[in-house]
Order: sequence, then structure tokens, then C-alpha cells
Amino acid sequence: MFLGSLVYGFINSAILALLAVGFNLTFGISGVANFAYGAIYIFSGFLTWIFLNFLGLNYLLCIAASVFGAALVGMVMYYTIILRVKGLPLSEVMATFGLGLAIMELFRYFDFVGFRYTLPVFFDGSFSIGEVWVDYQRIFIALIAVALTGFLYFFTHHTKMGLAFRAIAQDERTALTFGIESDRIGALSMAFGSALAAVAAIVILPLGTIAVEGGYEVLINALAVCIVGGLGSTVGVLVASVLIGYAQTFTANYLEPHWMMLVSLAAIAIILAVKPSGLFGKQKELEERI
Amino acid sequence: MKRYTWIFVIALLFLGLMAGPQVPPVQANQPIILGVPTSIGFLEGKEGLFCVNMAVDEINKAGGVNVGGVMRPFKVIAIDARGAEPGVPVAEVIKAHKKLILEDKANFIVFGSFRSECAIAVMDVVGQYKVPMLLGVAMSPAMEKKVQANYDKYKYTFRVCLNAVYLIKYLAGTMAYLNKQFGFNRVFIMNQDVAWARKTGDLMVKLVFDKMGWKVVGRQAYPTGSSDFSSGLMKARAKKAQVILPIFDMPQSGILVKQWKSMRIPALVAGFISPLAGPAAWKSFGGKIDGALNSIFEIGNVPCPKVPKSVEFFNKYKKRYGRAIEAGHSPAPAYEMVYILKEAIERAGTIDPDKVVSELEKTDRMGAMGRIRFNKGHQVVYGTNPAETAMGCMVQWRKPGKRVIVFPPSIAEGNIVLPEGLKPAK
Repeated sequence: MFLGSLVYGFINSAILALLAVGFNLTFGISGVANFAYGAIYIFSGFLTWIFLNFLGLNYLLCIAASVFGAALVGMVMYYTIILRVKGLPLSEVMATFGLGLAIMELFRYFDFVGFRYTLPVFFDGSFSIGEVWVDYQRIFIALIAVALTGFLYFFTHHTKMGLAFRAIAQDERTALTFGIESDRIGALSMAFGSALAAVAAIVILPLGTIAVEGGYEVLINALAVCIVGGLGSTVGVLVASVLIGYAQTFTANYLEPHWMMLVSLAAIAIILAVKPSGLFGKQKELEERI
Repeated sequence: MKRYTWIFVIALLFLGLMAGPQVPPVQANQPIILGVPTSIGFLEGKEGLFCVNMAVDEINKAGGVNVGGVMRPFKVIAIDARGAEPGVPVAEVIKAHKKLILEDKANFIVFGSFRSECAIAVMDVVGQYKVPMLLGVAMSPAMEKKVQANYDKYKYTFRVCLNAVYLIKYLAGTMAYLNKQFGFNRVFIMNQDVAWARKTGDLMVKLVFDKMGWKVVGRQAYPTGSSDFSSGLMKARAKKAQVILPIFDMPQSGILVKQWKSMRIPALVAGFISPLAGPAAWKSFGGKIDGALNSIFEIGNVPCPKVPKSVEFFNKYKKRYGRAIEAGHSPAPAYEMVYILKEAIERAGTIDPDKVVSELEKTDRMGAMGRIRFNKGHQVVYGTNPAETAMGCMVQWRKPGKRVIVFPPSIAEGNIVLPEGLKPAK
């Protein structure tokens, strides 16, 4: 049981990290609110399903098209919605959250209800670690999560564009004086974040079915990881994912699974009370952002 | 002249009074309004509404309902009451019902609320306005108790779908079968953390496993939306469970069976997981559900060759909507309740609610679910013989993606077969 908790705790942590990287890039690093993140995650899943089942495209092509589609939606959302309320953080949050609701309810409206919406796994089969059996898809998720987190760290610390993302969050006016066009970077940040949500969806959703209501859960988990880890910190995302992931798994295994959701919410409450900027948050205090 | 005028006016008034209140005559085309509160965002709600529409179209095409010699069509007014969503307050669901009754002038409510707490609260509303209501989703037996406790007030509510007590009977029968056939007597219960699933789990322990001498080696409740069931499955393995009883109706619960396969848990999955009910499940879960046993709450939702009307209904739906029924609960009752109502109105010769209620109580009809009759609590009686009662069943998923009815024996298409890697305990 303990070994099982270690293995599945690690996988759970990886899933949380994967869910949070895109949100962290947009909201955490660039300071652009994207509370339609969960909706974009679900949108990408359904888009892949549509490409695969209605158009009969090759799976890899479907994935590429969905990631591109999600990025496009993110960018359009920035220019049509966020740009109009920019500088009013609460309005940004409300506008994007509202748009997210609209996207998800549109899927309901257009009959995307039921259990037939599933994506194929990348790797079938399972293997054992000691007495614990794990399927290859979950290991694949863990590998992708580690790779994407590493990429995000490299991107935001060692590339010109990544540094520009961080710059507009730290001080937009100063960034402008350095020739960083904040609107363009903001739009790119939304596009990148949305593309990462699509990658997470395509990798994680084959474990089960695509359900509209899953979008809300994704947003809560991503938010919990980013707040606990500290907005803007990639290392924070990693550490928070591990902390929350293992806490959830051990809670499920040694207490009851219905306490699992409380772990995320309790983590948010505790961190806001003790260290509002998060474990590794080096930018502004959280209350100044929201 | 003046005198004659007065006589004429008085005569007219007299004739007017003699004629009584002026009731406009019922016109042949005046529809009987069926208010359908549903939850379109949920599979059962969507397919249930489809089935109500299908039955209404069939009846209207055949001329409508004969109400005392006048043929009148049914007209459906549907509303998304969202009663299936846990966060939606009961008051909102009641408001939706009131809208149908007061604004849309629904003569009858069909299908009705999802969550039992909503359905039970709405019983007061339909009682107040005397609008007969036929339920097709909510499963709490509290509804029948309420009818029997205060018949005059609550007699307007009927339930056509399976209730929790009958579900337990089907599950109990399956467990007895597994015990007799394979010697299994150790069970691990995994249920969704919602009222109906918790209650079903409780009753299974109290009324079935304790009495049958089974050992409940563990139990785990998962909040709605859970997507990792490894903790329960690991416990089931550690405690040497022979059977896993799942009770779930959330979309993510299909993951449980996938994980059961990939983690190679040496126990048989036998219970209810809503995503496993429909024919698309095999493809959706990549064939990883081979051997799993799943409850279908009402036949007709699965075609049962020994009940031809269930096959006819299943095929009719597929032909009309271009895809098969996926929900294991509600579509067949939703279809049948429209016919039940039609027949009751025709027997009553009126749409007067009290007279229709009296006739509804006398219902005796062979339909997609078997023989349909109500008990004193206004619940359709479910059992094990389709010639006598309505039926639910247990199916087993088999390669290459077929649902085989394995329980009750009266309608079984085959025996339960243990999936690869599982061995009998005797």
C-alpha cells in the first residue's frame, strides 16, 4: 500500500503539474488572467475528438491541429476580450471566467453529452513496480509533465520571449521602455498557455472520458498549484504539484478519497494565510494581483 | 314596445343563467400539454426527452388521444430544470415545474426531476395544483412512502422507472449467483459520494451482504469528478476482495474499469457504472471492459430478445435518432410513460386529473420494460418475470464488444463468465 501510494502519488503530482504549467505561464508568469483555462482544456479534448472521429484525420495531425486551435482561441480571446478590460484585474478574471462558462455550456448545447467522447491512449498495456501495476499512459503523462516543466523553466529564464513574458508581469511600463510590446506578448502568452492546456488535455484525457464539467476541476487544480507554488515560479509549480499530489494520494489511501478535494482548497487557504505570495513567489504579493 | 323589450331582456338573462357558465367546447386540435422538466446536460435527461418526443410523435401520427370521443394531440413543452446537477438548489427545480404548470398550462408532468430530493419536493407542487406527474429518473423509495402516508395529497405522483429497492434486489440476485456459481463471498464496495449511491451501498451491506454471509472487506466513497481510483483498487487487492461492487453515475467512473484492467486487480467488477451501460462503451474504453458486469436499470435500454417489445423499442430509437440508446436508466420508462398516460386518459374519457389518476392506478400494459403495473405507492413493480412485472437486468461485457444479459435467469442470454486471470473460489 505504501509503495502504491508513492507510485500513484508521483503520477498524481505529474498530472497536477501538467494541468498547471499553462495556467502558470499565462496568469502566473505574464500576469494575464485566463480563467477560461479549464474550458480551453475541455475544448481541446473535444476538438481532437471531432478531428479524429468526424474528419478521420491521423491522430498526430489531430493533436497538432488541436494544439494550434487552442492557441488561436487563446490569442483571439486576448484581442477581443482581455485587451478591452486590461488593467482591471477583477474584470479580466470575470470576463475570461464568463467566456469559459460560455464555451463549456456551448458544448453541452451542441449535444456533447455522454460517455462516448474518449481519446485513444498513446501507449497501451501496463507493467509492475514491485506489486504495484501501472499503465504506460500514466508513465507517459509523468514524462511529459517533467519535460514541459523543464521546458517552461528554460523558456522563461533563457529565451528572449520568455523573459519578455516575465517582464510584462513585473512592470508593464518599464517593459515598454525596453521595447517589449505588452499587447503582443500578452496575446502570445495567452496562446502559449492555451496550447499547453491542449497538450495536457490530449495526454491526460485518454485516461477517461471528456466531460464538460471536468473543466471546472481543472481550473481549481491549476489555481491551487499556482497559488501554493507562488505565481510566476516554475519551481513553485513543481514543488506545489508534488506537495498537493502526494497529500491527495495519501489522503485517499489512508483516510478517504472524499477528503481529496479538501486538500487543494485547504492548501490555498493555508498558503494565503501564511505566505500570500506562495512558496516560491518572488513577484508581487498575491492580493495585489487579484 | 318598451314592455316587450323588457320581457325579451329578462328572457335572455334567464336563458343565459340556465345555460350555466360558458365553457368553450373542446376542439379536436386543442393539445394536451405534457410538461417535461429534464436535465439536458445529462445523458439520461437528453435521451429521456428524445423518448418522450418519439412516443408523442407516434401517438399524434396515429390520430392523437381519444378524450371522450374527441381526438386531441399531445404537445411537449420541455424545460431544462437542471435537477441532475448537485449544485442547483431544489427551489430552482421547483420553479421550473411551476413555470410549466402555471405559465405553460401543462396538463401533465412527465419524466420529472432527477435528484430524489427535488422529485420529493415537487410532489407537493403537483399535489397543490392537481397535475398528475410520472417520474422517470429519481429513485428514492421515499416517494412511495409519501404517497401512502397522505394519499389524497400525493396521489398525483407515479414512478415508471426502477427505484433503489428494486436495484438492490437485482444486485442481490447477482451476488447470490456469483456465490453459488463461483463461491465468491468477499466484496469491496466503491461508490460515488452522492445520496443515492451511498444509500444503495448502505442497503447492500445491511440487506444483502450481512444477510447472505458475505464479508465486506472494505468500502470507499469517491467525490463526484474523481479520476483516480487506484487507492480503492489497491485496497481491494490487499484485502483479497473477490468482487468489486461499484456504484457510480459520473462520466469519470469509466476510468475505474480501465484502471481495474491495467492494475490487474484479481476481482470481478459487478455493479453499476453509468458509462458502461451503452453499446458505445466498448469502443470508448478500448475494449478494456471485457468481463465487467453492469446493471441496466430497465430493459428496453438494452434489447432483450425474450421481450420482443424491448427490441422493437430499442431499434425504433436507433432508426429515428441514428444512434443507439446509451443510458442504462430512463429512456424506456420515458417512452412508456407517454403511452401509459394516453391509455389512462382514454379510459377516463377526460383529462380531469382525479379521474386520470384513478385510471393510471389501473394500468396494466405490456411495454418495452415488460409488464407495467403500479403498486399502492404508485411505483411500477419490477421483478424477474417479464410476463408479470417490468424488468431490469445485469449485462456482462464480452469480446468483441457485446452486452450479454446474464441475470435474471428468465431473460438471460448466457451465464456469467469469469474474465481472463480470475479463478473461482470453489
